[in-house]
Amino acid sequence: MPDTFTLYHLITWLLGIGSFFLLVLLIGHVLVALVLIIPTWRICVRAGFSGAWSLLHLIPVIGSFVVMAILAFGDWPNGEAPSRSG
Amino acid sequence: MGTGLAVLGLAGLTSAFAFVALVLAAWMAWRIVEKAGLPGWTGLGAVLLTLTAVGTIVPLILLWIFAFMRWPRDELALAPASRTAAGSGAGNATAVAPAALPPPPKALADGRGWTLAGKLADGTAVSLSIDESSPTWMLTGAAAAQPTDLSVPDPSVGQPHARLMVAGARLGLADLGSAGGTLVDGARLLPEHGPRDITSVRTIRLGGVELALSRV
Repeated sequence: MPDTFTLYHLITWLLGIGSFFLLVLLIGHVLVALVLIIPTWRICVRAGFSGAWSLLHLIPVIGSFVVMAILAFGDWPNGEAPSRSG
Repeated sequence: MGTGLAVLGLAGLTSAFAFVALVLAAWMAWRIVEKAGLPGWTGLGAVLLTLTAVGTIVPLILLWIFAFMRWPRDELALAPASRTAAGSGAGNATAVAPAALPPPPKALADGRGWTLAGKLADGTAVSLSIDESSPTWMLTGAAAAQPTDLSVPDPSVGQPHARLMVAGARLGLADLGSAGGTLVDGARLLPEHGPRDITSVRTIRLGGVELALSRV
């Protein structure tokens, strides 16, 4: 049975490694989001929306869907091509 | 046994969610590329590529290409002759006027409007009339789609580029964040500035086109 001192060190170590992986995960997420944000920002601006909408990519899982929904179902202020499907 | 079923159920639920998300994304991608003037199936195909061995890299590359490529929508908007480009060439005779009724007679004696006149980069003269028949007018590089659209068919002019506001004897201008920029008597007008009173202004510049403002 580990004494209190060993247990304290074990918990500290676990917290440290957990925080490290969380940080790595966070940085990775931001980098991946950035790869999506840059082109989406340009698409939003060309459509006539604020480029800031592309920052929704930072929201995990649903963020990308929200941006796509805005572009897909919103009226583009800068105009749209005539629909081919009518 | 129970645990196995739970795991299978979870996997099934996850797959169902993934399937719904994929269908939704494909549908939205279809609509987005169609609005840009491309065939809808290209967007759908790009999303469905995530199911293949190339994974997400190819759709990501396609997203970048789509963002920075020339959209057919932009070419379509620039193609038709403008109703307001009052050049001397015979080509402007084919400009299609919008099917709009003339504005009603003014109640006030002083119903004077404004004129923005200048020349495009290719030398074509452009003359735009603004009056009180509408409280807002849109300056755009595209062909006029609405009676209140004022077309300045130049690549440096945004689509739309700026909004004009008429309030009695005053005229306002708001930049809409176009890349070409807007200058009022040489001073940069940014979207953050909001509407600017340009009643006593001499010239405004939209992208590379300078227009002289006069009261008529």
